[in-house]
Amino acid sequence: MKRIVMAVMLIALFSGQLMATDITGLQVIQNVDNRPTGDDMQGDLKMTLVNSRGETRVRDIKQFTRDFGDVEKKIMFFMSPADVRNTSFMSWSYDDESKSDDQWIYLPALKRVKRISSDSNSDYFMGSDFTYDDLGDRHPSEDRHEILRTEEVDGRTVYVVESVPKDEDYMYSRTVTWVFADTWVGYKKEYYDEDDDLLKILTVEEQEDHDGIIVLTRTKMTHVQKNQHTVMSFSNVTLNQGIDEGKFTERIMRRGL
Amino acid sequence: MAIVMVITVFFFMQMKDGSRMETDLDEYMPHNHPAFVYSDLAEEWFDIKDGIIIAIENPDGIYNPATLTKIKQITKDLQKLDEIEKSDVTSLYTADNILGTEEGMDVKPFYKRVPESAEGMDELRENVRTNDMVFGRLVSEDETVTVVIARIGDDVFSQEFYEQILELANSYEGPENIYVAGRPIVEGTMAQLGPADMKKMVPIVIAVILLVLLILLRSFRNTLLTMVVVFFSTIWAFGLMALTGIPIYSVSTMIPVMLISIGVADGIHVFSHLSFHISENPTASKLDVVREVLREMWLPVVMTSVTTAAGFISLLTSQVYPIKYFGLFTAFGVLSAMTLSLFLIPAGLMILGLPKVRQAKPGSDNQAGKIATWSTATLLRGKFLVLAMTVAIIAISVYGTSKVWINSSFLDKFEKDSDIVLTDQFINDHFGGTSTLNLILESEQAGAFKSPEIMELVSELQADVESIEIVGSSFGLVDYLKRMNKVMHADAEEFNTIPESSDLIAQYMLLYEMSGDPENLWQVTDFEARKLNVTFQIKSDNSKATNEVIAGVESFRDQFEEHGIQMNYAGSGYTALVFTDLILEGQITSLLLSLVIVILLLSLMFKNFKAGLIGAVPITITAIISFGVMGLSGIPLSSTTALLSSISIGIGIDYAVHFLDRYRINLRANGDTRLSLVQTMGHSGRAITFNAIVVIAGFLVLLFSVFPPNRELGGFVSMNMFTSFAGTLTIMALIVNKTKLFSKDTK
Repeated sequence: MKRIVMAVMLIALFSGQLMATDITGLQVIQNVDNRPTGDDMQGDLKMTLVNSRGETRVRDIKQFTRDFGDVEKKIMFFMSPADVRNTSFMSWSYDDESKSDDQWIYLPALKRVKRISSDSNSDYFMGSDFTYDDLGDRHPSEDRHEILRTEEVDGRTVYVVESVPKDEDYMYSRTVTWVFADTWVGYKKEYYDEDDDLLKILTVEEQEDHDGIIVLTRTKMTHVQKNQHTVMSFSNVTLNQGIDEGKFTERIMRRGL
Repeated sequence: MAIVMVITVFFFMQMKDGSRMETDLDEYMPHNHPAFVYSDLAEEWFDIKDGIIIAIENPDGIYNPATLTKIKQITKDLQKLDEIEKSDVTSLYTADNILGTEEGMDVKPFYKRVPESAEGMDELRENVRTNDMVFGRLVSEDETVTVVIARIGDDVFSQEFYEQILELANSYEGPENIYVAGRPIVEGTMAQLGPADMKKMVPIVIAVILLVLLILLRSFRNTLLTMVVVFFSTIWAFGLMALTGIPIYSVSTMIPVMLISIGVADGIHVFSHLSFHISENPTASKLDVVREVLREMWLPVVMTSVTTAAGFISLLTSQVYPIKYFGLFTAFGVLSAMTLSLFLIPAGLMILGLPKVRQAKPGSDNQAGKIATWSTATLLRGKFLVLAMTVAIIAISVYGTSKVWINSSFLDKFEKDSDIVLTDQFINDHFGGTSTLNLILESEQAGAFKSPEIMELVSELQADVESIEIVGSSFGLVDYLKRMNKVMHADAEEFNTIPESSDLIAQYMLLYEMSGDPENLWQVTDFEARKLNVTFQIKSDNSKATNEVIAGVESFRDQFEEHGIQMNYAGSGYTALVFTDLILEGQITSLLLSLVIVILLLSLMFKNFKAGLIGAVPITITAIISFGVMGLSGIPLSSTTALLSSISIGIGIDYAVHFLDRYRINLRANGDTRLSLVQTMGHSGRAITFNAIVVIAGFLVLLFSVFPPNRELGGFVSMNMFTSFAGTLTIMALIVNKTKLFSKDTK
């Protein structure tokens, strides 16, 4: 009996070492970044913003995204609240990290499409607790990654990876990501501010499996310091419908759905 | 004696262990008052906070790498402080520049890294110049001054934090000039300066009183006993404060001063009577003398103390807790002084022996008698003159009273040439204003403030109020909407207007959230656009200025009511105003109340209602003159000066009580009103004069204080003591004579 315990412990120890040497932090994050998400996706996004007083705002958005290889294009149409209905937003984000995103907005009351250019991906996305970077715009190469430890969750191995930005002026001093080793799904992330205080926690609350592609359908970002949170919840998700490239144009923004 | 010592030691230990200073001015505020409840709510809705302003001046202009680096470093240093939230620090370094271009909109910080090239510097300068949200707000229009603003919550301010901020700012001094201002700084300086000044002045006050007492009482022993009474009563009062766990507020630092000036009165009168008695019965034994003095003096001592205490107890009607406590503990101290006078002085005399009666005594006594006779005669002869003068002075004072104005200003409490006032002026000269008033608009309807019609009205209101000279600028949702409208029309100035449809307003707000710092939006409106917060920057924090702005805003009240929109005010500038009104209201209530109590007590003590009314005459005159002088000299009613009226009543009544009591005794003895008056003048009149001289001399010392409110206190208490004294010995004496008070008693 004792011998078996010893053996198990040894294996555990060995395998732990093996894993740590087997894969680097960068590789884990790259694997997360490269996890198949389908070529295109469309769905209904419900964005719920709750402030510290418990006041809630809900926005209903129809969203289309398609990956064109070197560029990912996204278009969103606001369905509600009524006074912003048909407002649309389009972004093209490039794999080439030196190239910043192109963004357009169409305000129906102004009947004009305007380009928005922003230097910073640290901007909060539509007043939520998500920045553009948090939504997946950040390149793995922008940070230095290190596996802090591995954990066991429901019998599955989880890598805990710390990412420290190479740019010292970046809004986070570091992030810590929990990644399932078998699916490369990151299911929890902590963001630390410049003083290394916990700023925000991202948690994945629901996910759907679409023919082997895992879609995170409900994510929650809790802003710890401001005591507020945002929930992004997708429904009616369909993948790989072959969304036409012509969908991602200023003309469509103006015309609406 | 032993018991007294034990109690004193006990209270002293309590005081040593349990006392703590409370410097947070927020603690003064009656937070359950409706105006405060609302303001607290609004402060939470819109995250309204007071700002600490650090101004950086470079006479050669701020657009050079060194100054820009300094802005960045100060910003970062402030953000690192635990007491300050990162997003609450605003400067050119943190601000977003939202720019309109031909094809759209550009959002970027003014600078992250300090521009090194001349072109980079020029571009930055141009960006600031063309941005109304920054130019004139964060950078002065002459480009020599820029500010870093750190907003802090009501609860974080402490002495240590205040010093930390000053130290931080000082470390960046040179070649640029660094200035620190803003309400928290003013409050902090005041909380520090007032009590510190008192601490310095009180020993001098005591020394002067000691000296004058020594001269007047001509006895080291008597002076010592009198002062011991005063010190012990002070220790008792502060000991009880510590025992009950009530902190020492800055108002409480005035308690020792009060007790000194009140406490010496008991001693002076007891000793005055003592020497009078000894000179009349030179052969009496020590025990007999003490017993006799006690027998004759216990009643007036108790009466004066009870009436004085009643005057202070009336402060309990105040809604401001520190003032309540001030009244309560001073009253306790007064009663302690009474008890101590009645026990400690006789006990001390028994142990130390009676004061020697000087050889020259009979002669000087004759002289005193002559003075009394002469002054009584003069008084009676000139009674019409006295009456006429009194009426004239009262008439002028009543007129002056009408000019009394209340001032909630903190800055006005400082010297005109003090650093803090000059800094404030400097920042006011370059920017919108260091003081703020928040106007809160509330509608029952969600989305009300997306209506162009209503926003036009708000815009009109802002423009109207801004045209008031002391208003530097105003800021609200209107400014965001105009800016967005302009930006979305390629920065064309003709679109610096309210958007024409409510949908467009909603869409601009959405756009702002997507591109700016959405938190900013929730400082001017709420999620439902049902509430609005408009901030006015005012170049003065005094009540006249604030009221002028409120008057300007109020002229729009009806128009907003037609739209179902309610107006309210919030912010520290407004609550300070309400606070002063409360103090005034409380003062008037407690003044009237104490007058009624005093009249009732006097009537009861003398078993004569007329005596009650007559006894109240000097203090009534004193109060009227006090307010009159305040009005005529333009000294506003503030938290310091407002307290004076109650104090004056409390102290001033003593003169009248001693006078009336002695007069009654004399009248009973000889039945002749004129002779009684002469005797009373010679006996009580002398003691009253001594008492007045001692207290006035003590308080005049405060005129040399470096802190103006303490100077005002010294001046007014001296003046009030003088009027009480003069009123008692002139007009009251005349009335007593004229109305033949107590005459019935003798029959």
